Amino acid sequence: MRRWTKRWTRVTALVCAGALLAACGAGEERERDPAVEGSTVGITDDTITIGGHFPLTGVAAPGYSEIPSGHQAYYDYVNANGGINGRKIEFVVRDDAYNPTTTSQVTNELVLNEEIFAMVGGLGTPTHGAVVDFLNGEKVPDLFVSSGSLQWGDQPDKSPFTFGWQPDYEIEGKIIGQWVAENLPDAKVALFLQDDDFGRDGEKGVRQFIDGQIVEVQKYQSGNTDVAPQMAALQASGADLVLGFTTPSYTALSQLVSLRLGYQPKWFYSNVGADPALVGSLLARFSEGAVTDGTQLLDGVVTTEYIPGTDVPDDPWMTLWQKVWDEHGGEGELTNYRVFGMSQAYTFVQAMLAAGENPTREGVVAAIEKSGADFQGPALAPFRFSGESHLGISGMQVVEIKGGVGQELTPVLVTDIGDAPIEEDDSAAGDAPPPNGIPEG
Amino acid sequence: MQQLITTVLTGLTLGMVYAAFALALVLIWRATRIVNFAQAPMAMITTYLALVLIDAGLSYWVGFAVALVSGLLLGALVERLVVRHLTGSSEINAVILTLGLFIVIHALAALVFGSRYRSFPAPFGLRGFQVGDTTIALTGFGVFTIVSVMVVMGLLVLLFRGTDLGLKMRAAAFDQEISRLLGVRVGRMLTLGWALAALVGSLSGLLIAGGGLVHPSYMDGVVVYGFVAAVLGGLESPPGAVAGGLILGLALSLVSGYVGSELVPLACLVILMAVLLVRPGGLFSHVRARRV
Repeated sequence: MRRWTKRWTRVTALVCAGALLAACGAGEERERDPAVEGSTVGITDDTITIGGHFPLTGVAAPGYSEIPSGHQAYYDYVNANGGINGRKIEFVVRDDAYNPTTTSQVTNELVLNEEIFAMVGGLGTPTHGAVVDFLNGEKVPDLFVSSGSLQWGDQPDKSPFTFGWQPDYEIEGKIIGQWVAENLPDAKVALFLQDDDFGRDGEKGVRQFIDGQIVEVQKYQSGNTDVAPQMAALQASGADLVLGFTTPSYTALSQLVSLRLGYQPKWFYSNVGADPALVGSLLARFSEGAVTDGTQLLDGVVTTEYIPGTDVPDDPWMTLWQKVWDEHGGEGELTNYRVFGMSQAYTFVQAMLAAGENPTREGVVAAIEKSGADFQGPALAPFRFSGESHLGISGMQVVEIKGGVGQELTPVLVTDIGDAPIEEDDSAAGDAPPPNGIPEG
Repeated sequence: MQQLITTVLTGLTLGMVYAAFALALVLIWRATRIVNFAQAPMAMITTYLALVLIDAGLSYWVGFAVALVSGLLLGALVERLVVRHLTGSSEINAVILTLGLFIVIHALAALVFGSRYRSFPAPFGLRGFQVGDTTIALTGFGVFTIVSVMVVMGLLVLLFRGTDLGLKMRAAAFDQEISRLLGVRVGRMLTLGWALAALVGSLSGLLIAGGGLVHPSYMDGVVVYGFVAAVLGGLESPPGAVAGGLILGLALSLVSGYVGSELVPLACLVILMAVLLVRPGGLFSHVRARRV
């Protein structure tokens, strides 16, 4: 017994010493190339290591867990075609289960152990909110957060390394509000909101246009699946149009409960929660309760779109994504969440190319601020990137779901936060992908 | 008015589900004198088993029956293979062990069944009943839930009050040594207690899942609310567990609908504190002297 203890002590001591040495070595590598201005952590002569945190398990996993597989497929495609200036992209994904405490832990691992060059596509408002200060403190580029919260981009001086990507919830709220004011001016409107930035920012945008039409506001806590009391309150208010800022699981739950209550208003779900394929698959099974086909239940639901998705397979961008997925994808079909991941990955490759032959952390941030607003890509509206704003895509269009396919109700509407007017702008919607599917440097 | 009716009815239906889970906790408490926190993931596993069978094309009722039977087996196995080895050590060890099982079963389920949300069918309609022009927020499945929980409660009362077997189980849990001297086969009684409790737990898993979405942690909230319901009822009494479940479901539904959904967990704890301050042994306790 005693001998064993002794041996273990020795082994432990050895391991500790080894770890210490490794840590020293890592420190040296940071100052590898003093000639280049800025930090090159995570970049070698032939690789770029980046990381991301996503909910691969837990309450937010449905749908969202597919986003990193879209990223990976596109990076594999780029690597197979020569990489970024000869460097291959290595994408390290960590599961945070949509739990901010875990996000902090895995982000520490990614930055300190994996030594990533940049965080790309980190998902979720509460989760990513927990690591923004850390990433900016460590001067790690925090590119294209997968969340529409305003906090990623409205104060670039506070978090200079963080950039948003998708349209923020406030401009989405504004565009939804204006559409309702113009098309359904007599509707009695109720809001069904997730009780965090998502619901709050959306409500702020909506109220700019239809403050007087709103008769009821109900909020749900993510994690509490009993939304019947909230739906009962919406029903009692007599609202005939419900605007939902919900995640897909809660879109499905609200549909199920309204079926139970016999409540049949018109539904408008924000982009995040309205993927017909995913919500439809969650609802499809309840055939005995009169829902024969999940997608049919979502017929007539209004929502928004800002990138081409699986409902338009002939779009040139979708042709590209399908090709990438066929060649480099993992198991399963090409879904809208994978398309989202690929579209984000495309912007990342674009940003790295804009940063030049010898990219640095500071260099890539400067490059996005300088030329990000001119990036051409799958988005229907241009990015708003500049020194003053790190907010992402500037607009979207309103669509109505018919048989699982979004039918355009408006042209692309472009705006910004605050009082900025909403304008029609189809200029970015016509961007076609480059022939080889890789952005030009 | 309709909002009040809807909120009350959904609260009562939900309360019945908490009651089902609380009944499982009461059963295992009376049969073995421990609180089994692994009850929830055990029920989750058996519900997934039913889902696999239903996905394979079998009818809902086949899945339902298999889930119940496998719950019975799982309970017996867990007692024989894991909990039995703790015989003789402090009761708290067994409770901590069930917490460990909770985590292990969770992780296994995520590995085997995946962690995404899946919909679980219901054997009856999911539309509320129509009365005149209004829809009552009570579905066929809701009625099924209420009836099955009442039947289980009745059977448990019969078992513990009216049969020799129930008496033996209670004796075995209460004092193993004396029961052995009196000829009770204590080991068997403990296994049976676990098996029956897991069976009732499986039922509660199926009732929650029906017409809703399942994922490996869908039962986690029910552990807390079910446990509070059981404690409200005194942990000893099946009718107490049902009453506790109904009070809790109703109160939480009203808080969620009229005050704010963010206050639901807080309200649950306030109710628990209030009841324990007024009646430390729970609403239906009558055996406080015995535990001195």
